[in-house]
Order: sequence, then C-alpha cells, then structure tokens
Amino acid sequence: MIETVAKLVDTTLCIGCKACEVACQEWNDQEFTTGVFRNTYQTLPDLAPNFWNLIKFSEHDINGEQHWLMAKYQCMHCADAGCIKACPAPGAIVRRPNGIVDFVHENCIGCGYCITGCPFDVPRLSPKTRKVYKCTLCSDRVAAGLEPACIKTCPTNCLTFGSRNDLKFLAEKRAEELRKDGLANAGVYDGPGVGGTNVLYVLKHADRPQDYGLPKDPRIPWTVSLWKGPLKWLGNTVFFGGLLAALVHYIKVGPKEAHDEAEN
Amino acid sequence: MKQRIERFTSTERIAHWMVALSFLYSALTGLALWSHRMFWLAAVFGGGETVRGWHPIGGIVFALLLAFIFRNWAAQMKLDADDRRWLAVSHKYAMNQEEGVPAAGRFNAGQKMLFWLQSSSALLLFASGLVLWFPEWMPRGLRLAAVLLHPVAAVASIGGIIVHIYMTTLVVPGALRAMARGWVTPRWAASHHAKWYRDLDRR
Repeated sequence: MIETVAKLVDTTLCIGCKACEVACQEWNDQEFTTGVFRNTYQTLPDLAPNFWNLIKFSEHDINGEQHWLMAKYQCMHCADAGCIKACPAPGAIVRRPNGIVDFVHENCIGCGYCITGCPFDVPRLSPKTRKVYKCTLCSDRVAAGLEPACIKTCPTNCLTFGSRNDLKFLAEKRAEELRKDGLANAGVYDGPGVGGTNVLYVLKHADRPQDYGLPKDPRIPWTVSLWKGPLKWLGNTVFFGGLLAALVHYIKVGPKEAHDEAEN
Repeated sequence: MKQRIERFTSTERIAHWMVALSFLYSALTGLALWSHRMFWLAAVFGGGETVRGWHPIGGIVFALLLAFIFRNWAAQMKLDADDRRWLAVSHKYAMNQEEGVPAAGRFNAGQKMLFWLQSSSALLLFASGLVLWFPEWMPRGLRLAAVLLHPVAAVASIGGIIVHIYMTTLVVPGALRAMARGWVTPRWAASHHAKWYRDLDRR
C-alpha cells in the first residue's frame, strides 16, 4: 500500500523568513506579482493563482502578552476534500493514492465551484487561463522521490515531509513537549472535520487557530454537502421519476380528447 | 374549412419558442454540470469549458425573454375562485375525469401554477447564476447560498417543464398546434377552456 504523505508545520520554529514562498515560486516557475506594502510582515495579502504558499502573519494580544503568530497557508490536501465534492468536471480534481489532492488542468472547466467547496478557501481562479490553481504538494517532486520545494528550503526544520502517520506521531510528541514547557494550550491542528488534512500544524495556541488565520473547525460547507447529497437524490427522482410518471400516465390514462359540445 | 379561433398571437408564440429554446439550452448544459454521469452532455454542447462559458449567457437570454413573457401574461395568470377549486380537484383533471372540474379560462389553474413556478425559479436561477458566473468577485457567503439555490431552482423548473412538455405534446392534442400556428377549433376551446370560449362568444 502507498503511504499517505504529509507536511508538518511546526509554527513554533517558523522565523517568518519566507524562503518557502520563494522556493514554491521558483519550483513552480511562477511569475511574481508585486503588491503594496501594507505595514505587515506578510508578503501578499492573500493566495493568488500564481502564489500558492503564503506565510500568514498576525499580531495578537493573548492574556496581556503580545504574540507574533505565523502560519504557512496553502492547500491542506484533505482526506474528505470539499473541492473534489463540489467539482462538476470528471477528473479535474483527483486524489492521488499518496493522499495528494491535485488539479488536472486539462480537465478543469474553470467554474470555480472548488473555491466555494474548500473549507480553507484556498484555490484561486486565474482570469488569464480561466483555470483554478493551488499547491500541488509538489506532486511532481514527490513522484520522483523528492520532498516538496518549501520543505527542501526551510532553514529551521519548521517544515518536515514524510508519511502522515509518522508526522502525526512527531507532531503529538512535539505538542506534549511544549505543554511540558508551560505552553498549556499547545496542540496539533489537522482538521478532523474533513477526515484529517495532510498538512499538520503544531500550534502554541491550538485552542485558537483562528488567530493564525486557520479556520476553527474546518468542514465541507453544509450547503455543498446538501447540494451533492440529498438534493442530488431529490433532483434525480424528479427528473427520471417525472419521465417515468409521464410514460405510465400516457399508457394508463392517455390524452384528453375534445368533445362535441361546441357543435351541439 | 374548419373554423379557427386565435389562441396565441404571433408575438406570444415567438416569445414562447425563443424562451423554450433558451431554456432547453440552459437546462441541458446545466444538467451536464449536475452530475459526473451527465457530463457527456457537455461534449454534445462543445466541451466543458464551452459549457462553462455559454451556459450563463444562455441563462441571461432565457431570463430576459421570460421577463418579457411575464410582463405580457402576469395579469392573466392571477388565480380566481374557480382556479382554487380546480386546484383542489386537480387529481380528477389528471385522471381525465370532467365531473366536478371547474371550467378554465384562457389558462387553466395548472398552467397558471406553471407560470408562477417558472417565474419564481427563473428569478432565483438568475440571481444565484450571477453569483456563480463570477465566483472571483463574489463574497463567500453569497457563493455558499448560490451553490445550493441554483440547483434547487433548476430541479423545480425542470420538473415543471417535464410536466408541461408532456401535457402539451401528448395529453392535450391541439395544444402544440395552438402554440405553433396560433389557432384552435371551437370544439377544442369549448372542451379545454370553456370559460374562455364563452367569453369569446359573448364578445
């Protein structure tokens, strides 16, 4: 069996150098779009079709202490992926046997439903190509036995690549260490609501992931689940049941013939 | 020659068939995106990207034409007391029993209900469709509502049209010709829309 691969982001070791952002741009051969300085240590305000890996920077006052929180933000490669659920084009979003959620651009029709289906709001539609882009977990490098570019370049070992099971073990161990060191709320963030993500985080403040720019309890949006679940059944019943009912009605009841009253 | 009564004006007929064509295009390209199993419909209409590009435009054309029809017909589509009684015994109408089914005016209560169903679902399809057309400019909350409302309205409207097409092609002989060529026989009018026929007679 092919093991599920994952990235571990130990936010306590991130120094905000942004080398991973640069490595991502370089490896994926992305043009860099310059922005405006917004008085923050964050490079760009948001992910973009040509920018798949963002170190979110936020300042928070937690219990009277000033905190600089930094968290790598990219596709989380969910086990139960909202983008796949929402995608209408067969084969446009696939889950590789190693757990990587990959966009196959020749099958993408550019509807953007995946953006709405994603609980993390990650995919971005390119106005130029009318296709949607996001982190591939360097599926091309991983297929060749290499680690993703962001991980290769990380200077502090904040980022680790490996099998998800191993990394989950390491992450829990690291969180326990941190708790022993007095960070009572340290913990692991790995999206149980979406069947587990293949990007795992160690957070000092695991009780408040929103402060890192991570959703508190990521789940596939209920409107998407309702649409792709019960509504699809109801709709198919209406469409095919309607045709069948018409057939049965025609055979059993038949047409209304006009009668002759008018001529009488 | 058989006596002919004008049932639909040429304007009504042209508008009807234009709205029918744009509906059919929008519905079939929409169904391509409804389920992976129906994605073969996308190939029929030029491929997935073409469908993504043109489905919204087909939808806009449909909505504009329906708005025109709405303006022409809305006043005639109000339900009266007879219509309400008709709806209460619509099962009899469906089984071709005439006993106790009130006489219909120019449009029977079923047609009126279809009109209101199509108008309201079209409004919903139009509003949610605009949101889905340009996801990159729309706030997330609107998109989350639109991905649910668009297919809900589509199911309602396609369901209504299945009944409509079946009724007019197979159940009521002469109805299709009325919409195509515009005329019906007195016998037809008296049988299917007796109140309308009486009112025509009086004039």
